[in-house]
Amino acid sequence: MGSGGVVDTGDSTTAGDQYSAVYDSAQFQALQRRSNTFIVWASVLFYGWWFTGIVLAAFAPGVFRQGVGGPLNVGILFLVLSFVLVGVVCLAYMRFASKRLDPVSDRIRADLEGGLR
Amino acid sequence: MRTDILAAPPPAPIDNTWAAPPIAVGIFAVLAVAALALAFSARGGIRNQADYLLAGRRIGVGQNALAHVAGGIMYSTVIIIVGHVALNGFDAILLLTAFVMSTVLAVLIYAGPMRNLNAYTIGDLFVIRARERPARMASAVLTLVIFGMFNVIAVGSMGFVASRMFTTSPTVDVPVVALTVGIVGVIAIAAVYVGGMPGVTRVLVLKVSLMMAFVAVLTIAILARYKLNIFDLLNDAEANAAPNPRGELLTTGRLFGEGATVNSDQDPWVHLSKAFAIAVGAIGMPFLFMRFFMARSGRAARQTAGWAAIITIGFWACMVVIGLGAVAILGGDAIGKVAAHRDITLPKITDELGGSWATGALGAIALLSVGAIFAVLLLNAVTSVTRDLRAARGRPDDRPAELKDMRRNVLIIGIASLVGGMVMMTQLTHIFIPTSIDLGAACVLPAVVYSLFWRRYNTSGLMWTVYGGLAVTLFMVVFSNGVSGDPTALFPDADFKFVDFEPGLLGAPLGFLFGWIGTVTSRERNDAAFREMRVRSLTGATVPARQEPEQAATPSLNGLDRAGRTLSETH
Repeated sequence: MGSGGVVDTGDSTTAGDQYSAVYDSAQFQALQRRSNTFIVWASVLFYGWWFTGIVLAAFAPGVFRQGVGGPLNVGILFLVLSFVLVGVVCLAYMRFASKRLDPVSDRIRADLEGGLR
Repeated sequence: MRTDILAAPPPAPIDNTWAAPPIAVGIFAVLAVAALALAFSARGGIRNQADYLLAGRRIGVGQNALAHVAGGIMYSTVIIIVGHVALNGFDAILLLTAFVMSTVLAVLIYAGPMRNLNAYTIGDLFVIRARERPARMASAVLTLVIFGMFNVIAVGSMGFVASRMFTTSPTVDVPVVALTVGIVGVIAIAAVYVGGMPGVTRVLVLKVSLMMAFVAVLTIAILARYKLNIFDLLNDAEANAAPNPRGELLTTGRLFGEGATVNSDQDPWVHLSKAFAIAVGAIGMPFLFMRFFMARSGRAARQTAGWAAIITIGFWACMVVIGLGAVAILGGDAIGKVAAHRDITLPKITDELGGSWATGALGAIALLSVGAIFAVLLLNAVTSVTRDLRAARGRPDDRPAELKDMRRNVLIIGIASLVGGMVMMTQLTHIFIPTSIDLGAACVLPAVVYSLFWRRYNTSGLMWTVYGGLAVTLFMVVFSNGVSGDPTALFPDADFKFVDFEPGLLGAPLGFLFGWIGTVTSRERNDAAFREMRVRSLTGATVPARQEPEQAATPSLNGLDRAGRTLSETH
């Protein structure tokens, strides 16, 4: 890792070769793994939570009808948490991406595009 | 009390006590002038195709996020949803969370990668993974089919706003509705013609600012009545709601319970499938996700989606408070008690709390809102015609469409869709919204996910995903209760339905399955194109370095061999 260039981008190579070389670089592979891991886990956990919720509402309404004091019940807590979770996931991804993805992708892009200038 | 209310065709006339037509017309006149002024103010900055269709990809994150939220604010998601929450409580709020859920897909998958590819339409993603012509046609078919259906809804929504807020007639006042729709439609076409995407974006920001301010004030007024005690509000809502054998207002059951769907034994699958389809399909509307292509970079697109999601949470949380507040304050008998009357609840609570100036303002803002949706749809259709159909007919990319050609298309498509939408207003076409969303779930989502993440995906896979998903969705829709077997169906007197659940529930997994079958049964594979797509979508890099395809001439380097396909595979 570093600014020394991930790949030799000589003028003689075609665009396809250059993309391919970048794709094979350790730096890009790490970036891709990091990005995909977040997307997969965030999707699975987050949609898993919500799908579980709608299945409970549909097939086990008793769970959501349990009161937890006053006008509140488990279902209402689920709805409130769902709203909150959307905000948490979005903020977490924006933060993760700007800290962990953008610096690497900026370097790769600079190397790739800079090589032709 | 149970089935009679849902099975009474046609809906009983309403006693319109809230509309303030002179005030609404006066405020709307001001808003219309403001919207046209915004459109004209954008005119000078439009020099080329990217300026006209994508506002030059120069829209800042804040403005873009607001405009994206505005794209989701329409008659059904604001005015009807408040009535839905007031009438059906918990289950309706659950459906509303599905809209909020769908924003996460935008943040994680749709926004950044496609902007990094410098896309105008999903066709620009498809062409990297599949042969150009079929890829472009697939994009055009999806975009234009969804446009066609949503356009009918957008025009119809103008009619609903006119009918509820611009006249006090208990039934449909045809001259008022036709005149209103005609005027708003022509203003919208003019705004698009002159201002293109930069102008329409400014109108969207105006729209969403006014709507958010209105909703915030209404929410505060409701909370103030309860001295900010949300528990009192919930207790009153529960106590004052009309009784329903399937469940109390704040518990699940009113829409999930047996008997919630007319003439059907498919509950609770019906409501479950609606929530599912919205959560996975709503962001698949091309007129919604094209907003991300206008961001300055992939990073800005991601932030656009993220901030839009957070604004969305706040906005629709207010909808919940207003809906429950309406039933708490007005009582279950005063709100819209049948599905077709859900749209009177928001005007009534507005009238109760703010009087005729408030309902006049609501009418004017709502009319601006649905007019802006019509404008956005029109631009989306023109973008697809300009980019996808042009390329599918073999026009080279390095000679972009000229402004006058695109503006001519705006006039042709705009007038045709306005007239077509007005003709369709006599029909019960509410089925078109869920069907569009089903296509988002069954075609767009699998095609986008496979294109972005699956190395093996190819032309055949794309064709199977798009046309297979389209076919099963349309098949199920034809045999659904939106077309027959229900008093509110397109053909209420016929009954050949057997699908009551939302087709997206089956369509989404089938779309993925079709894509897989189509891919593995074809020998075509193209690792080089996959690698290119991955590198470009994650980094935004393009080789050779260039800003926009149409600003710098595209060298032949990026021709056929860019995708690495042999000539025989390409033709």
